[in-house]
Amino acid sequence: MIPGAVLRRIGLGGITGSPIAFVVALALMGLLLAVPLGHSGYLEIVFRNILMYATMAYGWNLIGGYTGYVSFGQVAFFGAGAYCSALLSAHGVDNLFADVALACVVNALFAVLVGLPVLRLKGHYFAIATLGIGLALADIVANLDVLGASGGLAVHHVDEAHFYVYYYAMWLVALGAILATYFIARSKLGFAFVAIRENEEAAAVLGIDATRYKITAWAISAMMAGSAGAVFAPANGFLDPSIAFSVDSNVFPIVMAILGGVGTVAGPFIGALILAGANELLQRYFIKVHTLFFGAMIVLVVLILPRGLVWLFGLRGGARTWLKSLTAFRA
Amino acid sequence: MQLLAQDLVNGILAGGILAVVALGFSLVWGIMNIINLAHGAFLMLGAYLTYQLFASFHVDPFLSLPISFVVLFALGYLIQRFLINWVARAPILTTFLLTFGLSLLMVNIALLIWTGDQRGVTTAYSGANFTLAGVTVPWTKLFTLVAALAITGVMHVWLTRSKTGRAIRATSMDIGAAQLSGVRVARIYAIVYGLGAGLAGVAGTLISLSYAVNPGMGDPFLIKAFVVCVLGGLGSVQGALIGGLVYGIVEAFATQLDITIGTQHISGSGLQDAIALGVLLIVLIVRPTGIMGKATA
Repeated sequence: MIPGAVLRRIGLGGITGSPIAFVVALALMGLLLAVPLGHSGYLEIVFRNILMYATMAYGWNLIGGYTGYVSFGQVAFFGAGAYCSALLSAHGVDNLFADVALACVVNALFAVLVGLPVLRLKGHYFAIATLGIGLALADIVANLDVLGASGGLAVHHVDEAHFYVYYYAMWLVALGAILATYFIARSKLGFAFVAIRENEEAAAVLGIDATRYKITAWAISAMMAGSAGAVFAPANGFLDPSIAFSVDSNVFPIVMAILGGVGTVAGPFIGALILAGANELLQRYFIKVHTLFFGAMIVLVVLILPRGLVWLFGLRGGARTWLKSLTAFRA
Repeated sequence: MQLLAQDLVNGILAGGILAVVALGFSLVWGIMNIINLAHGAFLMLGAYLTYQLFASFHVDPFLSLPISFVVLFALGYLIQRFLINWVARAPILTTFLLTFGLSLLMVNIALLIWTGDQRGVTTAYSGANFTLAGVTVPWTKLFTLVAALAITGVMHVWLTRSKTGRAIRATSMDIGAAQLSGVRVARIYAIVYGLGAGLAGVAGTLISLSYAVNPGMGDPFLIKAFVVCVLGGLGSVQGALIGGLVYGIVEAFATQLDITIGTQHISGSGLQDAIALGVLLIVLIVRPTGIMGKATA
């Protein structure tokens, strides 16, 4: 996608993106620990959703940002994770750790199984095949009576007084996604992912087993999305295909990762914070036109900040470099 | 046998519309390497335009075909010229996201103007049909198929014979060489995107005759356009036509599926997206260049 040399030249050097941005992201995560202390159910849900989207954005970032395989089907893993919790709950298991563990195992298997044929495709074709996976899974679940079909099913709740449990669970899952991305990016695994993104043939020549690494990236990203889903289902209390496989959960994480900065460790979190926050405010004050504003915002971001916000942290050459970047891809 | 013949005819009739939907999408993708997520929104605008002309001025939907084309062409041309051209050569993600944002904008503007209510274009001949050897054919759908074939034919001739058409094909083959030969790429891109939008508008007009019109109506067609495109081969006019017909027939048969395993009842009509994906995956794995496609990068 973005050649490494160009990244270094514009100041986004290194495999994790700007270290300042990473520290800022961790500090913000620390602040988010305090949200349930405000005893506002509304705020708790808003920030829990931000953490949920952030986790999915990290999942997408790993396969789409680091490995360069742009997936539009991460919602399939989110939904699969959510339904894992629902099934456990239906069988009397009310434990968030069990939920997340099962979601991870199921999603890793699912990702390997689907990844074997699908990861052979490249570029647009991969994107479309993954889009199809999300839609097809929603269709299939809507027709399965075991999973409540299109009518949906209830998922257990802890009692009202302990509602914050879900918030902290989601916080932990999000922190896990951030740290996992950081350590993966700095490990051999991360370098292999980036090598595949930059040039798959050259990576193969260097002895990188592309298929194996692509499936690894896809499986880890699926586990992240699935964990978010596994915590979301019981927190939401109810699950049906339109909630589990919503267009929002598919598209928001991608937009967030791109807004924050693709292929960076801090990007998805910062993008999620800003985008979900903005969306919430717009929804609150301009309920009728908020999606319109949202669309306009995406258009503006693509044209004004094509490299994402994290890029601004490490920008060398100031406004001139930025102006140059605006016309870099002109027809 | 009767039922099979009816399914086949239904499939062909639906496939003709899909061919027009996919044609514009395929041109934009094949020539500019842009996956135009706003295609469904253009289609929706075309349908609303037809509805409004019909409701306010009693313009026959078939007469509003050229109006849809011209209006949507102009809109598409301006969007490419002043927005998308800025990032036309960026990685696919960029234009993907940009057209997604544009689609959100258009769908929500339509929602503000026409609200979310279902609208319909009901002409005097809407319900009329004839029966041939036991197979029922609605007149509107037959006219739609004829219009679709005519549009595909005109596009094919225009792309291969006209000066602009040749410039467009030259740009898709080798951008540098085209520029050296005096092709103004920015203008060609704007024309191609305009064509894509115009064809989506025409498809919207045709669709408004047989389907309900609402702001979200474009999405299912967008996904089918993807599949038809891959099925037929990118950027190819004949490919879009054949892909559309094949897909229409497969879908017509698949939605008749009706099995019961134990207590679990499976009906094909609820699994439209799953069927689309199944077809897509098989084609991608067996013949990634599509039925009519040539082997290219």
